[in-house]
Amino acid sequence: MTDTTIDSAIDSPIAQAIADGTLPGRVWMYTNYHCNLACSYCLTESSPRSERRQLDHDTMLSVATQAKELGFTALGVTGGEPFLLPWLPETVLEMASHLPVVVLTNATLFSGERIERAAMMAHPDISVQISLDSHLPDVNDMARGDDNFAKVVEAVPKLIARGVRVRIATTTGGALDDPALDPLRELVAALGVAPDDHLVRPIVRRGRADELQLGVRARAQDIPSELTITADGAFWGSFGPTVRAGRLDTDLLLTRTVLPLSIPATALLGLLGGMPDGHDANLGIR
Amino acid sequence: MSRIELLDASTAPMTAQSFFSGGDPGPIVAALANVPELLGPTLGFIGAALGSGATSTRHKEFAILRTSALLGCRYCIHAHTTVALDVGLADVEVRALRGEVPLEEGFPDQAEQALVRWIDAMAGAGGQVPDDVWAAARASWADHLLVELSVTIGATMFLNRFATGFELPTSTGVLERLERDGFDTGMAVAS
Repeated sequence: MTDTTIDSAIDSPIAQAIADGTLPGRVWMYTNYHCNLACSYCLTESSPRSERRQLDHDTMLSVATQAKELGFTALGVTGGEPFLLPWLPETVLEMASHLPVVVLTNATLFSGERIERAAMMAHPDISVQISLDSHLPDVNDMARGDDNFAKVVEAVPKLIARGVRVRIATTTGGALDDPALDPLRELVAALGVAPDDHLVRPIVRRGRADELQLGVRARAQDIPSELTITADGAFWGSFGPTVRAGRLDTDLLLTRTVLPLSIPATALLGLLGGMPDGHDANLGIR
Repeated sequence: MSRIELLDASTAPMTAQSFFSGGDPGPIVAALANVPELLGPTLGFIGAALGSGATSTRHKEFAILRTSALLGCRYCIHAHTTVALDVGLADVEVRALRGEVPLEEGFPDQAEQALVRWIDAMAGAGGQVPDDVWAAARASWADHLLVELSVTIGATMFLNRFATGFELPTSTGVLERLERDGFDTGMAVAS
């Protein structure tokens, strides 16, 4: 980026909206929708049989580059299970040369050669956010799949030992401050993850969670309005591009055009001007 | 049944919600809402091309209904048969534009005949518009009116293919009206 483009980013309406807190600074990308798991509350009904709806490497890099030029401050990568894409670690590393990146994963694929490939994400601007919902293996695995707990508690120390920053995300159907989560907090700390890197958030009633009537109902204004890019278009928030009964939800669709990124970013900014205050902070959706 | 999903207020993207706030916006908007960023520009163009302008509403309907009949667009023929009647075209004029009666029977006026023949050459055939067709139209209609009508014809051709390709459904109300007024609700095609 040249000095001129840095100046234009600082002066851009996007950058100003991020600076004044109107617009969240992170841009999310759904790399793919398929997953080796099929969690009960999954927003995207992901499973091994899901349609892939995959972003390619060049699109992800273009989003990262243009996000920085527009004044966004961070990137997020989610799915599906992103690490089903073998080229993802290199891509995340490239993206981190533009903006800090957090990558969401179930961490069940980090064995053998894959743990060594994941080690290339040992970078100050990369975090790997791993899902873990209970300190009780049976409870965790009931929602997330057989052996999930064991694979996660094995992968986390290995990643940390290789210099990868790990965050843990816990998704719960209960209260976010439920004391019943304390043993999980202790487990997370014992795995070597700092308390600030342990997120607890509610199940959002969209996708498969809606079918099973799980979690909290959320309106658009209750969902963080982070620009989210998928193979199907750009959405309001990472909780936007959900799938229900095999059909992509379009209610939180912004534009089908994803690049240039200024098109969906401008559409999002336009909506934010007329949106009443929501309750994303109260509901803890993140 | 449409070939594509027609969105409604519950499924329409948030960037398209304003088009649904007044109730069912019809199948063209419901289909276009699948690509919400196209709604505003496309409807703006269609509104300008088909709406009020320097050309009279009567002659705009010549262009719209005749083009739709030439392209065999069932949805547009249905919709604009009722519009043409509502803006004052006579039954026989509508039937002439639909190709159901000879042009001369519907339009004894030479200038209007020339206009319809020019529309036929613009919308119903490839290649050059014949000199005699152009000269006859140009003798009675000002340049700016023909330019405006050419945009109306082009926008109608887009709508014709959009509605036909996706098999957009005619509303029950329009079908009942057409049957009540004695119009064939099958495919009318001008020749």
